[in-house]
Amino acid sequence: MNPSLPLLELKNVRKHFADFQLDEIDLNLHKGEIHVLIGENGSGKSTLMKLISGWFPPDGGAILYRGEPVQFRSIHEAQRNGIIYLHQDVQSFNNLSVAENVFFGRIPTFWGIRSFVDLQRMLAECQLVFAELKISIDPATQLGNLGYAERQLVAAARGYVSAAELVIFDEPTSAMSEPDRNILFDILSRLNEKGTGIFYISHRMDEIRRIGNRVSVIHKGRIRGTEDCDSVDKSSLLKMMSGDVLKNRYPRIGAAPGPVVMKVKDISLKPILKGVEFHLRRGEILGITGLMGSGRTLLANCLFGIVRPEKGIIEINGEKVSIRHPIEAMSRGISLIPEDRAENGIFVHHNLIQNITTATLPRFRSKGILNESYMRELTQEYVREMSIKPGNTGDIMDTYSGGNQQKVMVSRWLMNLSKIYIMDEPTRGIDAASKVDIYNAMNDMVDKGASIILISSEIEEILGMSDRVLVLAGGRIAAEMNRKEATKERILDFATDEG
Amino acid sequence: MYAIERTRIIKKYLEEHEHAQVHTLSNLLGVSEVTVRRDLEHLEKDGWLTRTHGGAVINQNEIVDPLLEILEEPEDDGSRDEIASVALRMVKDGDVVMLTNGSVNIRLAVKLEERSNLTVLTNDLSIALRISLQDSNKVVLLGGDMDKSEKALFGSMALSNLRKFYVNRLFIEVDGINDNLQMTVNSQEKADLILGSLELSEHSIVVCPSDRFETSAFYRLGKISIAGGIISNSKLNEDYKIRIFNSNIPLFTTVAAFEGSQ
Repeated sequence: MNPSLPLLELKNVRKHFADFQLDEIDLNLHKGEIHVLIGENGSGKSTLMKLISGWFPPDGGAILYRGEPVQFRSIHEAQRNGIIYLHQDVQSFNNLSVAENVFFGRIPTFWGIRSFVDLQRMLAECQLVFAELKISIDPATQLGNLGYAERQLVAAARGYVSAAELVIFDEPTSAMSEPDRNILFDILSRLNEKGTGIFYISHRMDEIRRIGNRVSVIHKGRIRGTEDCDSVDKSSLLKMMSGDVLKNRYPRIGAAPGPVVMKVKDISLKPILKGVEFHLRRGEILGITGLMGSGRTLLANCLFGIVRPEKGIIEINGEKVSIRHPIEAMSRGISLIPEDRAENGIFVHHNLIQNITTATLPRFRSKGILNESYMRELTQEYVREMSIKPGNTGDIMDTYSGGNQQKVMVSRWLMNLSKIYIMDEPTRGIDAASKVDIYNAMNDMVDKGASIILISSEIEEILGMSDRVLVLAGGRIAAEMNRKEATKERILDFATDEG
Repeated sequence: MYAIERTRIIKKYLEEHEHAQVHTLSNLLGVSEVTVRRDLEHLEKDGWLTRTHGGAVINQNEIVDPLLEILEEPEDDGSRDEIASVALRMVKDGDVVMLTNGSVNIRLAVKLEERSNLTVLTNDLSIALRISLQDSNKVVLLGGDMDKSEKALFGSMALSNLRKFYVNRLFIEVDGINDNLQMTVNSQEKADLILGSLELSEHSIVVCPSDRFETSAFYRLGKISIAGGIISNSKLNEDYKIRIFNSNIPLFTTVAAFEGSQ
């Protein structure tokens, strides 16, 4: 192979999905290069890496690997050809030891036939590798017992021993301590010296110069630009990341907010949350955003009593309260409309009336029995107001679109008559008509005196709907800005700066 | 019940039925037959009706009282009132507000009673009368040529009067919106007035009930995007919701699902 040729080259590659597309991707990686990929949530970084590592084929364009056109049919075929994607959910086995995970995929070639694997020898080998890489994890531990940062180091070690020519790291340092980060970067430079090509997905600006040779910015499935890490400046990267901002389309009727209804002090939960502090006013929509792994959802779960933080104080109307369970949160007037309705909310095999009334059954109970006609009446009222379609009380939920399911979820918690609503990604993956309905329901809620904590990874939505914006980064509130001073670039600036 | 109110009801009854019996009216109004006869006498003197044995017949080709017509409540299925409530949330004390003529804006005018120190500019006679009944708000009726069917003033005089003011919030009522989000109104003068007031306003918003979507009036006004947003009722067709959102225009709807906090 000609040494001046890139190790990997993508030419005009495109891939269309139902709800997302990669388009006109031109990108290359040289031997011994660390190429950083940066972009906001949902910009297509991981999808692009999956395309390279054989998860799915492109629809068009060419991928050249070692100068030859390739089209891998599976991740295994890509791996046999020396491309390994260290994705946190894939090929890591919680029930196996750390050593087995490190050597996974290499076991046959390393030790001959699988059945003769000598576990003691493998543990010893792993110990040697860990000593070399300065990783202080016991190779005999089950992987499932490790935290996120330790698992990232195990994955990196796996990349190191794999003899792959191209290794892809996907945001390994989110929630990683500084010493662990140094160990990881040491592994990266060792791989680099061996001539391995590395794609490194990151959201941290400080890492670009520290470890990268080149950086590419992805925005909405397209490469916005590729720059040398030595010469690039932060503001032009932020500009490339943010793209055109469509924030006018959010219907928000601003109003002067009332007194403070909730105060949160020093919420901490290792290793993600490190002293989160903020307050919420009556009639206010408070937007909280941050990149993946910033702890947005974990924070929501702490406030609603699903997860207990190690420390922290929550005050409601000036009174310190203890929230150890969702029932306690609800009795304090807090509702959480959770992020993943499929997993945490909708009962797909139950009907509309059951789904809408399930959080508020006491409202319908009189003398020990449920007043079913009242349940039906109130359900029909919500169906009408929220434009839930088709909206017959007996409809089974798995026949409903995502948007209508989400409106059912919102209705369920509105019926709870709470004072504080935590809405975690309330419009993710739903149609625009349902989004409009939910935004207008939010206006109605705050107009009638409720307060909303809007957690969203979609920065435009945060800009469009919030009266005040908090940026969560590095486990803390990195910035607070009011509606007028908030811009996408400013938010990205704080969100990507954890150093 | 005062005589003026009785007279109004009798006139309305006669418009609908053309003739009336004294005892029917007496039951309807809850007053004695003597009182009814006296009212009928007055109305006959005014040339409104001719008395007959036991009742009265309306005089045909009677000129209807224009003042009464102006104060008549426009028809509503509830949606106009809801749209007006959303619009009201956007108005703050002390604002200079302009309302173009139309039935949604008439409802909004009534609701503006909840605000104070407003200066309300309008070309609509009915709106002007309603604001004039509010103690803490001021009304400026733009002059101009009277459109008799709309009971509103248009033309260059209206526009040049408007130029003397700085308007915070303009509420534009339109007569049709088609699926290209093109807005239409039913006269050229109305289009001119709206376009002129758009230039002079800080924030502008379109009000349009959902039943006026998918219809077109004769005169083209421009796309919704010439204003800062639109208010409609929540049962608006989903396709329009999607189209408006994707055009980067805020769509405010009348969702009122929340029952309040406990």
